[in-house]
Amino acid sequence: MREDGRRTRIMAAVTGEDATAGADELVQRLCRFAVDEMALSGCALVLMSGVESASVLAVAGRHARTVTGLQMELGEGPCLHAHAYGIPVLLPDLSAESASRWPAFAAAALAAGVHAEFSLPLTVGSGGIGTLDLCRDRTGMLSDEHMADALMAADIARDAVLYQQYAPSGPGLPELLAAAGTDRIVIHQATGMIAAQLDDTIANALARLRAAAFAGGRSMYDLAQDVVERRVRFDD
Amino acid sequence: MTETGAERPVWPGDSGQGGRGDDVAREAVLARAFVRLADTLASDFDVVDFLHGLSADSVEILRAAAAGVMLADGRGGLRLIASSDERMRLLELFELQGAQGPCLDAYSSGRTVQANAADSRARWPVFAPQACDAGFQLMCAVPLRVRTDVIGALNLFRGSDEPFTGTELAIAQAMAEMAAIGLIQERAARERNLLASQLQAALNSRVIIEQAKGMISEYLTMTVDDAFELLRNYAHYHNRRLSEVASDVVDRRIPSAALARRHGQHF
Repeated sequence: MREDGRRTRIMAAVTGEDATAGADELVQRLCRFAVDEMALSGCALVLMSGVESASVLAVAGRHARTVTGLQMELGEGPCLHAHAYGIPVLLPDLSAESASRWPAFAAAALAAGVHAEFSLPLTVGSGGIGTLDLCRDRTGMLSDEHMADALMAADIARDAVLYQQYAPSGPGLPELLAAAGTDRIVIHQATGMIAAQLDDTIANALARLRAAAFAGGRSMYDLAQDVVERRVRFDD
Repeated sequence: MTETGAERPVWPGDSGQGGRGDDVAREAVLARAFVRLADTLASDFDVVDFLHGLSADSVEILRAAAAGVMLADGRGGLRLIASSDERMRLLELFELQGAQGPCLDAYSSGRTVQANAADSRARWPVFAPQACDAGFQLMCAVPLRVRTDVIGALNLFRGSDEPFTGTELAIAQAMAEMAAIGLIQERAARERNLLASQLQAALNSRVIIEQAKGMISEYLTMTVDDAFELLRNYAHYHNRRLSEVASDVVDRRIPSAALARRHGQHF
């Protein structure tokens, strides 16, 4: 299929009768479209700047939010890699992955019931603004047709987010970002506090927070909550 | 007058001079020109240099006396961007001022326009005599067009009344279309890069502001809400952006204590 035709078909599927849908609505429907059309269990659109500032802008199906959250917790995984290097990361069998690139992520994802994960970068020039993440509760590669659809969906999502500030209707960029999940805020605040406690950089403070959470078998979020509420200090 | 005639599909060397060596040399020039036309996504791309290159190449390849390029300005008008020489520049400015001439017609119709001296006087009674005075008899203009999107036009003038051949016009159109594709891609890429960097900045500043709130609340032993209040007051008082101040705080360029010291804030 020619790529123009592919874009038109997907756009028709996600806009339907409502051609004035804002970017927030559009990316939500793109995730739903991906789940329904590509036999996935979940799909998420994740905006990223630095590695530690992912925001889930839209999500559909099961698992997808969990998988993104795991990667943020562990500081490793396919969506971080896809974003950092601007290339798709295709993991059709996470159990085969467990001993290779991202063992901690693979183990955690398998434990959550995810067996295949595909992360497509939203590339702009030589950089990018995030990823479209697809996951499945069974192993297997995406078909060529589904892969082409997914890559196009990633392009459409990227353009929808980028051009949102010019859209005549729907939320502007700040509103879009404000709605993109605030669950990491406490982690950023805790990172600032730990940096002050240790008189160290933000990057080192974050590494300390992650290591302490991992060592204690806790989520970064929970530990960060304790830091912000001054139940835990790092300079003791 | 012809609209893309095909009277003499012979190129190059159709002036009757030159041999095979000339053909090869021209093909090499043409190949180099197309490579330049494709090269719009380089980081140091400059649209004026690019279109000066197009003007110069089309003069050389198409045996024109002069060439110039106009681009749409986004408000329905055309603006002169590049000319192969000063005569052409003045003439094109005159064309724009008088609102008549081949470039304007090619732009508005999206089609190639060619007129000899007699035709041009009938078609553009104000412009053609000026062009003639400047030493040009044959006038041609090719739209910079990709499918239905016309973004400008390329003017090609000759001192003699000899029309461009069908092959020459085909080459001119191919060069113009290549230039249009390159310019449209470059614009889209530049716009997307700008939007992406704005988005990245917005995402980053959200994170850095939270980190700064945490850091201030720790150094000054206060709640994160009070820390945010200090941050905002400081930014307001110093007339700086909140995200910049936050960035200075987390990098210790502004000591957190300095935030509490100013303008009567005491905690």
